[in-house]
Amino acid sequence: MTDLLRLENLSVHFPIRGGLLDAILRRGRGVIRAVDGIDLSIRRGEVLALVGESGSGKTTTGRVVVKLTRQTGGRVLFDGEDVTGLWGVRALRTYRRRVQIIFQDPYETLNPKQTIRDFVAEPIDVNGIAASPADREQRVTRALESAGLRPAADFAGRYPHELSGGQRQRVVIAGALVMDPELVVADEPVSMLDVSIRTELLRLMLDLREERGLTYLFITHDLSLAWVLADRIAVMYLGKIMEIGPAEQVIRDPHNPYTKALVSVAPTTTPPSPGARPKRTILAGETPDAAHIPAGCRFNPRCPLVFDRCLVEEPPLFDVGGGQSAACWLVEGGRSLPMLPVTVGVPPAVIEDQEGQTSSLTTTSPGSNTLKSAHPIAAPTNGAVR
Amino acid sequence: MTAPVAPARARKLPKQADPAAPLLVVEGLKTYFSLESGVVHAVDGVSFRLDHGEALGIAGESGCGKTTTALSLIRLLPSNGRIEAGSIRLYGIDLVPKSAEALRRYRWREISIVFQGAMNALNPVHRLRDQIAEPIVERLGLDLREARKRASDLLELVGIPRKRGNAYPHELSGGMRQRAMIAMALACDPAIVIGDEPTTALDVMVQAQILELLERLRAQLGLSLILITHDLSVIAETCDRVLIMYAGMVAEEGPVREVFARPRHPYTQKLLAAFPNIQADRRTLDVIPGSPPDLRHPPPGCRFAPRCPFAMPVCTEVVPPEVTFADGVRVACHLYPEGSAGTPITVPPEPIGAGRS
Repeated sequence: MTDLLRLENLSVHFPIRGGLLDAILRRGRGVIRAVDGIDLSIRRGEVLALVGESGSGKTTTGRVVVKLTRQTGGRVLFDGEDVTGLWGVRALRTYRRRVQIIFQDPYETLNPKQTIRDFVAEPIDVNGIAASPADREQRVTRALESAGLRPAADFAGRYPHELSGGQRQRVVIAGALVMDPELVVADEPVSMLDVSIRTELLRLMLDLREERGLTYLFITHDLSLAWVLADRIAVMYLGKIMEIGPAEQVIRDPHNPYTKALVSVAPTTTPPSPGARPKRTILAGETPDAAHIPAGCRFNPRCPLVFDRCLVEEPPLFDVGGGQSAACWLVEGGRSLPMLPVTVGVPPAVIEDQEGQTSSLTTTSPGSNTLKSAHPIAAPTNGAVR
Repeated sequence: MTAPVAPARARKLPKQADPAAPLLVVEGLKTYFSLESGVVHAVDGVSFRLDHGEALGIAGESGCGKTTTALSLIRLLPSNGRIEAGSIRLYGIDLVPKSAEALRRYRWREISIVFQGAMNALNPVHRLRDQIAEPIVERLGLDLREARKRASDLLELVGIPRKRGNAYPHELSGGMRQRAMIAMALACDPAIVIGDEPTTALDVMVQAQILELLERLRAQLGLSLILITHDLSVIAETCDRVLIMYAGMVAEEGPVREVFARPRHPYTQKLLAAFPNIQADRRTLDVIPGSPPDLRHPPPGCRFAPRCPFAMPVCTEVVPPEVTFADGVRVACHLYPEGSAGTPITVPPEPIGAGRS
């Protein structure tokens, strides 16, 4: 399979706008490194899930792909062609036919005053591709029906408020399909929906891939959804890809401590067996803000396996075999990751300090030096993870 | 580490309390909303019981009545909603006939609630410590200084350093705000804390932290919890019992382990099979066809019948009675009549959850 989309060393840095005083004093306020140099490729017909918590940069990456946000560095290649510099409504016309996006909230995507027909037909009108009104209607019907809204005539004349949440999201999908795109960026497409409706939509997305050979960039915070849907999973943290590989492998044999911890806390409907504590590793604190990315490995302040090198040097993605790679010094040279400490009973007593930055609340244990005592592993009895 | 906060139920029970009565018994609760277009039977005959130190999870899809059930307990219903029938007995005291004024004494003091959107539930212009101190002054009658001290203790208990009590809600992250909400719910040392989707808007890791915190508080303070959520995994991890609601009624209720390992009601089976579980096999998820009924005109018979793959003729005519089995599971389904010992009377036409339907 060939790469349909390739991101090379992509970065998106947003300058922090200061107040008037900052402008007068000519002092900069720094940048938010939302996406901080990622390489990613999606093969034609593939579903790639981009998984991460809030602030990981997953949505920004998706927006760059559909050209709603401008990258500040790196290249975007689509179907072998460099589209990095492609900007402006006219230049993007063809590109946008081939690449579409589905947003999370159908309530916000749909215009309450527009009928379903007009919403779905809008891309056709904008691009002037309908030969006649009858052709326009036919295209709308086809899109609505492939999105599972059958018969289309029952829906086309309605307004969004007359539809249920699941139906609305189908309308949004129909709007994305009407141009016959090749790549669909789906940004949390089912997060607002109930479990039963969610499944129908996921199944619809997979069916559409079969029928139309669609390629998906599926953006989600939910690792278990990614696992169900995706061929490959990329895990993002603070603007970087921490691990990428075939879905089954990433879930069953994660090679990055962050992925491993995420997998350990992923929702499961299997109740813990009596007496046995679930083997969860609950990380301390929350994702720091992207204006203050820690030096070295960006995950080091929360990593239960942190050691000296992590504090000074950022690990690249190491190939760990089978098409999987992970960014962690511990897996350099194909080594496998040590066991993570398991959280027992007490939740991580980890909180923000006055600067609002997250850090672990650890006390210096006897004999440990200052550098080490800032990190959970050096003070296991007082640390965040036990 | 954490300063001792007032031990569980160190204070007196309400005057009319019956010390021998169970903590909370809800029987035949019916809460309706009147709309211009008709009366919505949001909760239509729900019964359950909560014992001391127990955690009960109430699950179901949007519109199944789970939140209405919880809000009925402390009567925080919207103005067009009212309890039509049933009883809510706390220590044997029925709260339903109580006046709005009399009920105020039970809110916060006996039953408190943690809402989903902590940003909307906290007052943006008050410091955290003062917000938490308010119910302590109001309900426990402590003076402001003592109340603030207790508020700081509570913050510490939920993992927020005392000094952060000076912060305003917008200065905190989502997870911290939810911790603050929990601290506030604990302010008056209530017997029951209701969590209404307490982790829904949070990141997975933060969600895990909050659930772990609730678990610890339960053990430490002897709290009883009612957790309202659409997320079955939250219940699997934290609750003793689960109550599955569908269209305003109880579909199935029982110990979490029994219900999750051997779901009986077809709705429970479908719901569990629709949930992606990375610890199980990777498979295509189950779909529940159709949508829940319009609760202004609920269908006769079993409300799940129109979507049920096992529906029999009787299902569309007769409301299935709730039958309790030896293992403590209560099911309202014609497949499991009295005396069926929990095995279905007909063999399902297809194994549920086995791949695509």
